[in-house]
Amino acid sequence: MEKFFRRNFAGYAFLAPWLIGFFLLAIGPILASLYLSFTKYNIVRPPQWIGLDNYFYMFEFDDRFKKALQVTFTFVTISVPAKLIFALGVAMALDKGIRAIGWYRALFYLPSILGGSIAVAILWRQLFNYDGVVNSALRLVGLDGPYWLADPKYSLWTLIVLAVWQFGSPMLIFLAGLRAIPQELYEAAEIDAAGPVRKFFAITVPLLAPVIFFNLVLQMIEAFKSFSGAFIISGGSGAPLDSLLFFTVYLYDEAFSYLRMGYASALAWVLLLIIAAFTAIAFWTSKYWVHYENERG
Amino acid sequence: MSRLNRRTFMTKAGAAAGSVAVLSALGPQAFGQDKQVRHFWWGNPERDKRTFAVIDLYNSKTPGTVVTGETLGFADYFTKLTTQIAGGNMPDVIQQGYGVLFEYIANGAVVPLDDYVGKSLDISKIDQSAIDAGTVDGKFYALSIGANSHMAIYNTRLFEEAGIVAGTDFDPYGYTYDDLARIGAAIKEATGVAGTDDNTADYQNFSDFTAQKGVKMFNPDGSYGVTQEIVEEYWSTWQMIRDAGATPPGPESAGLAGVSDLSQLGVVTGKSAMSYVWSNQLVGAQGLVQDTLGAAMYPNTPAMIPGSIVQPSQFVCLTRDSVDPEAATAYMSAFVNDLDMTAILGLERGIPSQSEVREALQPNLSAAEALSVEFFAGIQGKTAPLDPPPPSGSNEIEQTFERVAVSVLLGDKSITDVATDFLAQAKAILARA
Repeated sequence: MEKFFRRNFAGYAFLAPWLIGFFLLAIGPILASLYLSFTKYNIVRPPQWIGLDNYFYMFEFDDRFKKALQVTFTFVTISVPAKLIFALGVAMALDKGIRAIGWYRALFYLPSILGGSIAVAILWRQLFNYDGVVNSALRLVGLDGPYWLADPKYSLWTLIVLAVWQFGSPMLIFLAGLRAIPQELYEAAEIDAAGPVRKFFAITVPLLAPVIFFNLVLQMIEAFKSFSGAFIISGGSGAPLDSLLFFTVYLYDEAFSYLRMGYASALAWVLLLIIAAFTAIAFWTSKYWVHYENERG
Repeated sequence: MSRLNRRTFMTKAGAAAGSVAVLSALGPQAFGQDKQVRHFWWGNPERDKRTFAVIDLYNSKTPGTVVTGETLGFADYFTKLTTQIAGGNMPDVIQQGYGVLFEYIANGAVVPLDDYVGKSLDISKIDQSAIDAGTVDGKFYALSIGANSHMAIYNTRLFEEAGIVAGTDFDPYGYTYDDLARIGAAIKEATGVAGTDDNTADYQNFSDFTAQKGVKMFNPDGSYGVTQEIVEEYWSTWQMIRDAGATPPGPESAGLAGVSDLSQLGVVTGKSAMSYVWSNQLVGAQGLVQDTLGAAMYPNTPAMIPGSIVQPSQFVCLTRDSVDPEAATAYMSAFVNDLDMTAILGLERGIPSQSEVREALQPNLSAAEALSVEFFAGIQGKTAPLDPPPPSGSNEIEQTFERVAVSVLLGDKSITDVATDFLAQAKAILARA
C-alpha cells in the first residue's frame, strides 16, 4: 500500500486540482441538494427536515410544476428531432466535397458556440419583438407578423428556432459519421438502380445509426437542461403566461425569487430522474435500431 | 544555471506558491488598518453616479474608513443578496424596500440599530413617522432614506399637442379612470401616440384601486382581503380605457407585464404619453427623456377615496454579517445627516426624512426635483394611511397577478375566469407561506 502510494503520488498530485474541484464543487453540492430536497430551507434559517413533503406537494398541488413539465416536454420533443434532421441535412450537403469546406464547417458551427450565450438571447428578443427584424421582413412581403414573444401561442417557437439554429455540434459529428460510410456501398446500390431516397434509407440511415443515437442522447439531455435562452427571453419568469416556463426556469424562480431552496432542490432531483429515465429508454430502444459494425447480426 | 530536474522544480514551485499564500493571508494586517464598510444598493445610472460621489466624499472626509459601493438593477439585487446571505458575506450596509424589509428582519439578516443610536448613529432630526416605519416590535431596524408615493408621469409636450392642460382639462390630484380614457384617446387622436400605459398587469395600481374601494389588501388575520368583484371591476375599468383607444394594443402591453426597468416605460420608449412609477423614480425617468415630464397621482374612482400611500421608499440597514458595525452605522448616519452628502443625493431616492436636509436642498433643486416637492405638497390629505407590513407571500401574489393578467390583455379568457383563478392562487400562496 505504502509502495503504491509512493509510486503514484505524483500522479495524484497532478490530478489534485481536478479531484478537489470534483469533490468540493460537484459531488458535495449534489449530495447537499439531495439532503435539502427533504427539507424546508429558505437560506436564512437553518433547513428543517420535512421528509417527502416537497415531493408530495409537487405532484399533488403544484400546477406550475405540471405546466413546467408540459413546456419542457414540448420543447424537447419538437426541438431535438428538428435540430437533428436539420443538422443531418446540412452535413449531407457539406459531404458532397465542396470547395473551402473548412470555412463552411466553421461558419455553421459558430451558432453552437454563440447560441447558449446571454448576448444571443438578448439578440433573439430584439429579432422577434413586434417591431423587430422578423416582423419587418414579413411586412416587406405584406404580412402582419404576430407578437412572437408576448403571445403564448408563438413564444415557445422562437426558442425552438433558437435551439435548431445551434445545429453545429451534431452536424460536425454527422459529417464525421458520413465520411466513415464506405463509398462502395453507394456504388453497388447505384448499379442496382437505387435512387437517392432508397440509398438514404437503406445505406445512410442504418450505417449512421450509432452516430444518430449518440447525437440523440446528447441533444436530448441538453434540451432538458436548457435554461439561459428561456430565462432571458421570458424576463426570468417564464412569461408570457408561463409559456416559457422551462423546468430549469421554474426551478430558478422557486429558489431565488421565493427562496424555497428545499423545494427547488427537490425539483432538481426530479429533473435528474426524468433525464435518467429518458436516457435509459433511449438506450433500451437502441437495441432494436442501432447496430454496430463489429456486431454479429 | 543549474540543471532543474522535475523534483527540484516541483519543490521550488510549491514553496513559492506557499509563500504567496502566507503573504496574502497576512495582507490586511500587513498593509494598513483602515476600517472597511461595504454598501450595496439597487439603482439606475443616475442613482449610481450620485451614490458613488457620496462614497468618495465620505472617504475623503473620514480618514481611516474606506467605504466601497456595489450596485445592481432591482431585478438582480435580491438574487445577489440571497446568495450573499447563504455565503455569510452580506455587505455591511444594504438597501431595503418597504415590504421585503420585514421578511429580512424576521429572518434575522437585518439587525437592530438601537445599540448605536445616540453614539455612532444620529437619528435626532429624523421624522418620527420615518422612525416608526422602520421599527418592528419596539426595535429600530431601518433608516429611511426618502419618502415615496405612487406617481403618474406624463410627457408634457404630447399633452400640449393634444391641447390638454393640467388643472383645466383634468385635476392631476383627483381625476377619474373615465377622465383618463377621455384624455388618453384625445392624445392618441392628436399625436398618434397612445395616451397612457396599460395598467392591467400593474399590481401597484391594483393595490391603489383596492384601497379606493375602501377595502384592505389583507385582513387582520393575514388572509387576502380582495374580492372577486374588485378584481373584475379593476380589469373591466382598464378594458374600458383600452377599448377607448387610449392605450397601446393589449398584446404589446402583455409583453411588458412585470417589467420594472425604467427604460421600458411608455414615456421613455415613446410608445405612450403617461406611465406609472414610484415618485422617487421621476428624477431617473426625466434623465432618460428629452421632453419635460409632468406629475400626477394615479387615477381614482368618482368617490375619490384615497388609494395611494406615502411610505419610506427605501431604507439603509445594517446586516448581521457586518464586520465593523460602528464604522458602518457612522457611515449610515452621515448618509442621512451630512449636508454635503445629502446635497449630492438630492431627492433621487425620495423626499428626505430629515428636516434640516430638506431645508438645505430647497434652493438648489433641479426642475424634476422641484416637481417632486410640488407633487408631495399636492397630495397632502389625499393619501391613505400606511397599512401594517404585508404577510410573507405578498411578493409572490404580486408576481402571480402580473402573470395571470396577461390573459386579460390578450383577451383569450374572460375577466371573470382569470379573476377566479387569481384569487384561488393567492389563497394557495398564503396557505403555503
